[in-house]
Amino acid sequence: MVDYAVETIDLTKIFESKEDGIKRIVRAVDHVNIKVKKGEFFGLLGPNGAGKTTLIKMLCTIILPTEGTAKVNGYDIIRESVKVRSSIGWFHGETGGRSLYWRLNAEDNLRFYAYLQNVPKDVAEKRIDALLEFFDLTKDRKKLVKDYSTGMKVRVMLARALLHNPPILLMDEPTIGLDTVSAVETRNLLKALNKELGKTIVFTSHNMFEVEQLCERIAIMKNGRIIVDAHPSVLRDMLRDIRAVEVEVRNVDNIDRLRSVLSSIDVVNRIVEVKNDPIAISVRLQVDDEYEAIHIIADRLYSYGFKLSSIRRSEPSLEDIFVKLAREGAV
Amino acid sequence: MKVEDIVELLREDRPRVSSGFIHVWAVFWANFKIFLSYRTWVVMETISTVASIAMYSFMGLQVDARRMALAGYEGVNWLSFALIGVATANYLWMCISRLSHALQHEIREGTLEPIVSSLIDMKAYIIGQSLRGFLVSGYFMTGVLIVGIYILKAQLFISLETMVSFIAVIILMIVSYIGIGIIAAGLILVYKKGDPLTFLFATITEFLGGVLFPLKYLEDIPVLYFLAWLMPYTYALDACRKIMLTGATILSPQVSWNIFILIVYAFVFIPIGLRVFRWGLNRIRYEGTVSTY
Amino acid sequence: MNIEKLIHILSEDIPRRRTSTYRIILSFIVRDFKVWWTYKFWLILDIVGVVIFIVTYYLFSFITTSQHVQDAGYSVGGYFTFALIGISFQHYVHFAVQTINESIRDEQWNGTLETILSTATDFKIFLLGEVCFSFIVSSTLLLMSLLIGMLLGAEFYTTLSSIISVIILTMLLIASHMDIGILSTGVIMKVKQGSPVTWAFSWLSQLVSGVFYPLKLLPWYLEWLGKAFPLTYSLDGIRRCLQSAEDLSSPVVLSNILYLSIFILIATPIALYVFKIGYDSARRDGSLGQY
Repeated sequence: MVDYAVETIDLTKIFESKEDGIKRIVRAVDHVNIKVKKGEFFGLLGPNGAGKTTLIKMLCTIILPTEGTAKVNGYDIIRESVKVRSSIGWFHGETGGRSLYWRLNAEDNLRFYAYLQNVPKDVAEKRIDALLEFFDLTKDRKKLVKDYSTGMKVRVMLARALLHNPPILLMDEPTIGLDTVSAVETRNLLKALNKELGKTIVFTSHNMFEVEQLCERIAIMKNGRIIVDAHPSVLRDMLRDIRAVEVEVRNVDNIDRLRSVLSSIDVVNRIVEVKNDPIAISVRLQVDDEYEAIHIIADRLYSYGFKLSSIRRSEPSLEDIFVKLAREGAV
Repeated sequence: MKVEDIVELLREDRPRVSSGFIHVWAVFWANFKIFLSYRTWVVMETISTVASIAMYSFMGLQVDARRMALAGYEGVNWLSFALIGVATANYLWMCISRLSHALQHEIREGTLEPIVSSLIDMKAYIIGQSLRGFLVSGYFMTGVLIVGIYILKAQLFISLETMVSFIAVIILMIVSYIGIGIIAAGLILVYKKGDPLTFLFATITEFLGGVLFPLKYLEDIPVLYFLAWLMPYTYALDACRKIMLTGATILSPQVSWNIFILIVYAFVFIPIGLRVFRWGLNRIRYEGTVSTY
Repeated sequence: MNIEKLIHILSEDIPRRRTSTYRIILSFIVRDFKVWWTYKFWLILDIVGVVIFIVTYYLFSFITTSQHVQDAGYSVGGYFTFALIGISFQHYVHFAVQTINESIRDEQWNGTLETILSTATDFKIFLLGEVCFSFIVSSTLLLMSLLIGMLLGAEFYTTLSSIISVIILTMLLIASHMDIGILSTGVIMKVKQGSPVTWAFSWLSQLVSGVFYPLKLLPWYLEWLGKAFPLTYSLDGIRRCLQSAEDLSSPVVLSNILYLSIFILIATPIALYVFKIGYDSARRDGSLGQY
């Protein structure tokens, strides 16, 4: 039997809300079954509103599921919530520095949570010193958090998640409010904690490349469902398969005509996205050979009288993957 | 500090020791520190408390001693009478609203989520917040009493016995009300705002408890008189006055009934409060609105 | 709504005229009423709070003598009427000062202040609009509390001339406190903190303006301090009219009115000036929307 760090069993969360008397039902998380092995670096990828945060919060026992359950470190999230809480370190980047006491300084904030997490005092002090130094907050440690920048607040929150040295780290968008340097540092730290200390890490992001670089396994979530659960090589293969070109055309009076012209070009496999902006219309296309396609598309648009303002090769996006999966019938 | 150092540091792991006492302390300590960061507020509040006591002393000059005597307060100076009323009413109000205020803050600042996902038992949280409430409101009550006794020369029976009895009754008063405070807090978790209700509750308590006038004069309005004696505060205030104005102690027979009632209220409301609170917490966990304001 | 439709609507351009001041103020009142209506519960609380306060002093009056009140020259109604007038009018002005502060602070908090000031509205009109609604609410509460007091047995002289005098005194009272509200709002904008001005003013005037007791009962230094507060003169004037049937023909009432008028004449330009300083400094460092 494999020991799972996180195992969800048909985990479902339905939110009901009333707007103008009309009942609205949102399936934030819809029968999710994922298994994360102990010591695994697991990435959860998805656009905003896919249900990642709700899923993580259920694993933190802050939100109770509507249906199904999950086991974290072998403990049930509904019945053994205290044991679950002692196994996890949770970070929630989206709050942008809320969730700290703004009228306490950084070290007092950390000390408070160290007490709440039952960390012995001397150990706590040692870790607070080290983490503050690592996150480059030593010289501001006595300053009230309300005077911090968002990035600094986020770093205090990261330190808080690590303070009690939990075996499982639930990192919800950990790099969202950070500058590039701190983001790199944080990724390196998480990687090392996973490699050296065998910490299980569940890492959510909407940045494909970040997840692809870090994680050993990746799940993609959309509309509350897991649509892919695979090794990053699968994602990498998909990404390699995807060749995209972005076209920007000005002064278009008939979008449909532009669409039909573009789809009539042989080298264009499909139109992924059309963004209608007052300045220019930008269209994302999937092609087989982007370098060849650029020339052909440019010629064709010119001959039809379109004012092409830019055309370039584009990195694959989540949207590309969704389109590809939809075509393959996976969604 | 580099990545390797952090890894090295976290490599040595010592078992965590669970201690409810430390949780209570942490909540108390952090919130007390936050309180101290509002220095202007503390100073302003202190001055206006003192000013309000001065106001009562001038009001007292108009009180007819004979009418106080008719209400059963023979030879009692009205200022002393009102001082006990104002001190206890303020104390009660500050203590009871503490928990609701704190929770509203935690919800708004988003700090409730990390607390709920930590190892603290909500009972420890409630006790920690309440302790902070006792201490801060105790500061104001002591201030009121000191100004009253030393500057305005209110005549109170001050001895070791009466002081101990007074403090004991105050503690009993808080204990009898804490259940109600927890109920209010539980409702605030769910409905996110409750200030109007607690405010209403405080105003009515202060009025019906007879802070500024002897309850004897409420007898003409039987409904209000009946309601007044439904509130534990009325019993607590009555006991405090018997102790500080006539020199009774907690062991005197004339306060034993009051003490008994306070204990009964404590036993009834605390379990209800804890149940409502747990219901509230589970409900917002179910609705996913722990930090939604 | 598609773009064509919207453009069509905007294409018929009606030349803009200056909206009349009265319409601007009316729109403020309507807006405040709508916001306030969503807090219906607070309305009930305001009323309950006032009623309880009055009843408390009704019961307190049972243990007081009316001797001091009569000595001070208020012959009818005794202590309860005396206290009722004090409480009702003090609440009234407290409300006035408080609302200016609070409404500006709320606007700042919600970020709506920047929006309003970016429209073509003069800030004096803006201020007037802000207070008009609360003026209506607090006047209603004032009338209501006097009525409740009468039901509980307060006695007033209600001749035409005394009532007219009271109305004049009330207007002067509000005008003088409006100045204080505007001044402290200017301070708030500058220092970005709850204004100690309002706060100190509020408890000091409660202590020394004779809300709950005749000024004669105060030690001489507080009695003198009381003479600096407009509330003192208004309360004395109003009580003389309602409790001793005096009116504008009485020299004491006239001197009260004179004092209040002088106060307003001096305070208004100062208050507007301080407000302008605060407002300009907030605009300079771009902190209008901050709190």
